[in-house]
Amino acid sequence: MQTILAAFYQQSAPQAPRPLYVDNATLWRHMSDALHQSLDRVLSLLIAVLPGILAFFIAIGIFALIGVILAWLLRRGLSAAKFDDRVARYRGNADWTPMTTPTAIAGRACFWVCMVIGLMIGVSAFDTSYATAGVLPFPLLPYLVRIVGATLILIGGTIVARFLARSVLIGAVNIQLQYARFLSLGIKWLVLVLTAAMALAHLQIGGPIVEIAFGILFGGIVLTLSLAVGLGSRGLVSRSLESHVERTNDQNAERSTTGAGESFRHF
Amino acid sequence: MATANPLPDAASPTATPDTRLLVLLASLPQEQLTSVLGKLAACVAPENLLIATSDETVKTVRPDLHIVTAATTKSTWTITAADYVSAFQLAQENHAHAVLLLGPECDSLSERGLRNLASAIMADGSDLAMPLYDLPPRAGLVNSAILYPLSRALFASAVRFPLAVDLGMSMRMAERISMAAQRFTNLNQPTAILWPVNEASAAGFTISEVEAGARILPQPSEPDLNTVLPLVAGSLFADIEAKAAFWQRARQMPLERNHQPALAASAADNPTDIAPMLQAFRVAYTNLQEIWSLVLPPNSLLGLKRLSLMDGTAFRMPESLWARIVFDFVLAYRLRTINRGHLLGALIPLYLAWVASHINVSATETGPDHHIEAVAAAFATEKPYLVARWRWPDRFNP
Repeated sequence: MQTILAAFYQQSAPQAPRPLYVDNATLWRHMSDALHQSLDRVLSLLIAVLPGILAFFIAIGIFALIGVILAWLLRRGLSAAKFDDRVARYRGNADWTPMTTPTAIAGRACFWVCMVIGLMIGVSAFDTSYATAGVLPFPLLPYLVRIVGATLILIGGTIVARFLARSVLIGAVNIQLQYARFLSLGIKWLVLVLTAAMALAHLQIGGPIVEIAFGILFGGIVLTLSLAVGLGSRGLVSRSLESHVERTNDQNAERSTTGAGESFRHF
Repeated sequence: MATANPLPDAASPTATPDTRLLVLLASLPQEQLTSVLGKLAACVAPENLLIATSDETVKTVRPDLHIVTAATTKSTWTITAADYVSAFQLAQENHAHAVLLLGPECDSLSERGLRNLASAIMADGSDLAMPLYDLPPRAGLVNSAILYPLSRALFASAVRFPLAVDLGMSMRMAERISMAAQRFTNLNQPTAILWPVNEASAAGFTISEVEAGARILPQPSEPDLNTVLPLVAGSLFADIEAKAAFWQRARQMPLERNHQPALAASAADNPTDIAPMLQAFRVAYTNLQEIWSLVLPPNSLLGLKRLSLMDGTAFRMPESLWARIVFDFVLAYRLRTINRGHLLGALIPLYLAWVASHINVSATETGPDHHIEAVAAAFATEKPYLVARWRWPDRFNP
């Protein structure tokens, strides 16, 4: 800068002072240079990264195509082998049965395995080109894997929360607990809070703050439930439990009697 | 099929081993066992009788009878897959002509009932003989609410107790149901429930129903309805799903039964407190809306809303509403709309509402049998609804 200023003064000393707009033009030239340089840097970065992005999409596209073809072949093969009938024959009355046919599940699984492989290869290629450009001090792939892991934790947690909430709700209704919905909601939020804390911890976001907040929130929910059931709804709970015990005794007594008309039997 | 009549009144002196009747008995106390053997010996000529039991001491008690040792199976309240497999194997090994399965507490069966069962398969040539029990008016309510109406509407079978604890089978029927049972035993589910009436209907076998008189029905060892109802209903729903191609075809419905007004009078004399059942239904109505709305169409939900506002004595569940509810649950079971355990758990309060309604109707109107037949008729009327929704489940359903 000093050199520039010195040269500027040497050139301008024997001459009459120039008008002010000349200085502005020089300033504009320097600004323009700076902008060009930054543009060059961004463009060179993009040029360095572009093959990686292209490789990412090509890898996904190719593996999606492979997945579609393999899934189609698998479905045709399993249909020809009557796979669904065989599974149905040997499955029995399993409670945990999927919504779609086993052949469709196998086809989808095949497709998504290919997609995951394509995604991993694409991200790996992108990561390599990104690291070559020297833009980020850390590799991108491990963090993307963490994001995928956190997403899976969130999805799994939501499913488990809904399942447990429904199980508790139906179980509580069938033993005629008046506060069944409240209990079910409590269970649902406990699991959701636990899931959110796990996902954040997996992403390494928040550090000890998340753990402390989770501890406070989880403990708070448990304490609220305990107080509500133990103190606030004490009368309700005792009445509910008493009526349940009475009902059970009545049912047992009814079972022990065999006289016609005096009781009813479900079986 | 042998033509000789093996019954004592007309027993042929030259009975071949092919006219043998294998009787597989459930585990019974000694006194009950002796009583049943006496009745059986009076019904069927001893040379044609083959008793299979796990109790070894019987051989000393009744040396005149041909006793074979059956494998010890887990004692349950109904006939299970393991029983069917065991019965067919024993019948094959001993060259039996027909099989009679007698469940727990079968000593309460009358001699006439046993004779009718044996005669239906030995002399009349039926493939499946099911007993018609003379039960108290408020017994077997799950059967009256779900099992009988579904079986009648979908499989066009007039059998009043599809989950009977005693039954007779020809060898071909025993073979068929044994094959079905082996799927469960291979999966280590020996206590799975099978549906012989559905199986016989699907195979085109002849089914007969015989008067069996009064009988003490064994109760499930697990006293909790919340456990047993999902087990039984789930088993039937799974069987309906497996035989969808069969029951979707139109069939002529069996004729309506004659009613028994004497039982209605007996029921009216002994009022039952339905308040706990109504309370269970109302608690469920308050809490289970979210789950029911996944399974039931708005019209049924509206019907349930009306029910929730009814008082105790005026509580009536329309037969068509109950039929549609059950059909919607069958459909949701097939579509796996929600977890099957949750689905069947959500059916329990609705079933209790039906029981409350049934008790009210039985006490004030024409009697329980009339109501049960009306329910069965409603199921038959609503069958096109199930068939349509089964085929096009995504179609608009108000």
